[in-house]
Amino acid sequence: MSTSGPPKEPVKYVEKQLHLPYCYVAGDYKVRYLAALKDKTILGSKCSRTGKVFVPPIVASPESFAPCDELIPVADRGVVTTFCIVNIPVIGRSIELPYVAASVALDGADISIYALIQECAPADVRMGMRVEAVWKPDGERQGSHEDIIHFRPTGEPDAPLASFMHRL
Amino acid sequence: MIGRFLAGLKEDKRIWGQRVAGQGVVVPPVGYSETDGSAGGDWVEVKPTGVVTAVARVHRPIPHLHPCAEPFAFVLVKLDGADTALAHVVRDHLEQLRIGSRVEAVWAPDAERHGSIRDIACFRVIS
Amino acid sequence: MPKLRNVAVVGFAQAPIVARDEHRIATEMLYEQVRAALAQCGVEREAIDYQAAGSADYLDGRPFGFVAALDVMGSWPAKADLHLEMDASFAAYYAWLRIQTGDSDTALVCGYGKTSEGEPERVLNLQLDPYYQAAIGLDPTSTAALQASAWMARTGATDRDLAALAARRRAAGARNPDAQLHDPASAEDLAQTPWAVEPLRRGYLPPVGESAVCLVLAAEGKAEKMCDRPAWIRGVDQRIELQTLGGRDLSRSAGAKLATERALAMAGLARAAEVDVVELCATTPAEECILCEAMGLDAAGARPAINPSGGPLAGNPLMMTGLIRLGEAFRQLAGRADGHGVAGARRAIAHGAQGHCLQHNVVWVLGDERRWT
Repeated sequence: MSTSGPPKEPVKYVEKQLHLPYCYVAGDYKVRYLAALKDKTILGSKCSRTGKVFVPPIVASPESFAPCDELIPVADRGVVTTFCIVNIPVIGRSIELPYVAASVALDGADISIYALIQECAPADVRMGMRVEAVWKPDGERQGSHEDIIHFRPTGEPDAPLASFMHRL
Repeated sequence: MIGRFLAGLKEDKRIWGQRVAGQGVVVPPVGYSETDGSAGGDWVEVKPTGVVTAVARVHRPIPHLHPCAEPFAFVLVKLDGADTALAHVVRDHLEQLRIGSRVEAVWAPDAERHGSIRDIACFRVIS
Repeated sequence: MPKLRNVAVVGFAQAPIVARDEHRIATEMLYEQVRAALAQCGVEREAIDYQAAGSADYLDGRPFGFVAALDVMGSWPAKADLHLEMDASFAAYYAWLRIQTGDSDTALVCGYGKTSEGEPERVLNLQLDPYYQAAIGLDPTSTAALQASAWMARTGATDRDLAALAARRRAAGARNPDAQLHDPASAEDLAQTPWAVEPLRRGYLPPVGESAVCLVLAAEGKAEKMCDRPAWIRGVDQRIELQTLGGRDLSRSAGAKLATERALAMAGLARAAEVDVVELCATTPAEECILCEAMGLDAAGARPAINPSGGPLAGNPLMMTGLIRLGEAFRQLAGRADGHGVAGARRAIAHGAQGHCLQHNVVWVLGDERRWT
């Protein structure tokens, strides 16, 4: 047997292609939320102990650990709590750069959702700015987050910081 | 270590093991002892023939996971000169395959060896 | 053996194992079990000092998916937390260890995951090294079949032996309301089922199942207040083996053997056969026989009763099958096993496993009395 060993120059990479399909259960709870989007309604869940409203709905409050069985509608408009201006492309997203990704606290909700702000210059977006959802037209809404195309300024006066400080 | 072992398959159609503390001649080598963590020692060439120590017959291969669409068998093969067994597949003459069968490596054609354990296309039963 | 803290299992809640829960997501399933386990103990989350969980993000199909589960584990105000990409029985081991340090008296241990949402055969291929073993497409059923074949060759066991054992576990599972398979099947029937991967037939393997479980551990002083019949941990040990399947004797489980010896020594027992109940995390009849041999048990014997719950062959929710064994041992000792209870059970062994071909084993010895005084 030789003791010289295999070639000195090693193979440098081993490729592996992964094929991992998934099919997520939405669950009865989330289905109600998603179905409501078809009717241009955003549902939140109300904590049975503190009364806080979570959007999208969750079955239990992480904070109080109490169930949030009650689903209630919140407004499709609210206030920009924080935001950032995106200048780098994201794979699989074709929005024209730069654009604004914002945290929006909907009226009636105690936590914010993430939202795309359009129909204004990025430089004009500010904390406290009032915005509203722009929905897909009737007949095109599928019961998914994509039923809201984006949010846009309402032109209302800005909300004072103190009014959304607890929802940052 | 893994890269040089794979280069041996790809370029020379030769199978190399490594002498490792506590494990003897390990094929395929990882460059260290899995039992005590010490560095691997000398390279030792082993034969492309060996004996089957375990057999799992796959009657319904899983697409995009298993190496072929027709029924085949996963095997552990202790190659002649090695002290550990190599996991691989047998594709033909499955009716002759059993624990204790002698098998030999079937090499992928030159153009289809890319530096992978599958440069050994499969093993075939020789007795 | 040094004197350790007496720690007991004081609560256990499990969602019945199903093929697919189409109504709830994993965290929703888990929330109910956490609430139920705390309610059994008569406490709220404030009484829990530490929490640990086992799940696999690849099985969930969500990078860092375990973070979502924190929301339903009562993690607020911020708790010390541990997550393992392992069966939750190992999370229980580390929770026990944490309690031994003295900085925590109580712990929640959770296991969860919706196996039906992905394809576990593909995911668990990735548990193997990418160069040699994953690259040829090995999946867990195939590696289990390799192990079964090596064990059968060494012992002379036959297809009929596997069928007979599977039938016994199926019959036991029929008495366990949390098991997935409730229909007994004869050895003859099971031996007629098609090959999954030969030498394993579909009838010898559990179907894909999912659940959510929560177990509560508490140290002496608190355990008695949380449970009328705590199951005291008298010994525990865990051992891992080589990842390269061809580098070990697959027909035996050296790791389970060593872990059992060490756990028994800690418990002050000479032999595993001195306990009344054994719950083994064996997902094939061959694995069960290999484990019994490693532990010095008779798989076909009446006492100790082995897998009176039906064991994994009657329900195998990945990432929590091992923790359920610990929970079942608790149920037996606490008199909560109802229809599948073993009369007069005072000592139990619970076993958890992780990885292909029983790569990693944890062994618990439990009893109705404290170990250390």
